[in-house]
Amino acid sequence: MSGPLWAVFIAAFLASTVEFVEAFTIVLVVGVTVNWRSSLAGTGLAAVALAIIVAIFGTALVVFVPLGVLRVAVGVLLVLFGLKWLKKAILRYAGLKATHDEEAIYEEHLAEMRARGEVPEQRLDPFGVVTSFKSVLLEGLEVAFIVITFGAQVKDQNGVAIAALGAVAACLLVVGLGSVVRAPLQRVPENTLKYVVGVMLTSFGTFWGGEGLGISWWNSDLFLVILVLFYAAVTGLLVLWLRPYAPSRQRVRVAGIVDQPGQEVLR
Amino acid sequence: MTRVVGIARATYNFFAGDAIILTAVVVAFVLAALLEGSSAAGNAVTAALFIACIVGGLTLTLGRELRGRKR
Repeated sequence: MSGPLWAVFIAAFLASTVEFVEAFTIVLVVGVTVNWRSSLAGTGLAAVALAIIVAIFGTALVVFVPLGVLRVAVGVLLVLFGLKWLKKAILRYAGLKATHDEEAIYEEHLAEMRARGEVPEQRLDPFGVVTSFKSVLLEGLEVAFIVITFGAQVKDQNGVAIAALGAVAACLLVVGLGSVVRAPLQRVPENTLKYVVGVMLTSFGTFWGGEGLGISWWNSDLFLVILVLFYAAVTGLLVLWLRPYAPSRQRVRVAGIVDQPGQEVLR
Repeated sequence: MTRVVGIARATYNFFAGDAIILTAVVVAFVLAALLEGSSAAGNAVTAALFIACIVGGLTLTLGRELRGRKR
């Protein structure tokens, strides 16, 4: 392989790694917090949609797909989903969330089932499917754009194929690393996970939505990390603001999840 | 008619479920689009206002929950 083709392979690999990490983060958190069936169903649907789009447009994809509009649409939905989850998680952390709402009862039931070693029903959850689908579709399209634009830059008929190889290598690396962190994540308390998901979805939604509107984020993709830290800090302050107003009897310990003092899950 | 309202309500609950959050997000995106389009404000100002609207929506809806529980 010639020097320029190696350069295309490495550039496509690095750029695609960033996109795959973003997509895989969402797939991972949906899999851990909702269920893997919904997460993988959304991923599979997105892969099929992506394959159809690429098959129809080919390398003309860059011209016909309005990536900006797609980013705004996905951004709006992710921010809406993220804020919904953050609101619930903050109210629970602050001790203000009702102790016996239907969702809490359902989650307690799931926790009891897990404690007994039973496998909870793996129904398809619309939220999980949609969240995974749009994240994978958007990032998949971005990878396709990377492959086409990088591959077309070299004067070699194998340019796009080599760039695609770089993207496949990046995908394998990210999925491999992701499967390693999956098991430890499943031991994190449920409300903590939901809080983290809320922060992630809101951060990704802000970032992609802003990009779609034409905002140039400081330091490009690195700003995503700053957004995550910012939202984590702001929501932490909101929990501190609300906590003094919590009635003490609403602090309940959920059977089957934790049994150590100071580790209560607030519902 | 009842069916249409039911579908509309289910769609609203699925995507937003909170009028304050929905309004804040719509305002954030429309405001940022207008500012970016008119180039009246700099990129940093648009980004800051965009994020402020999102954080403001979350703070307002939590404030409403708090007021509801105080009563």
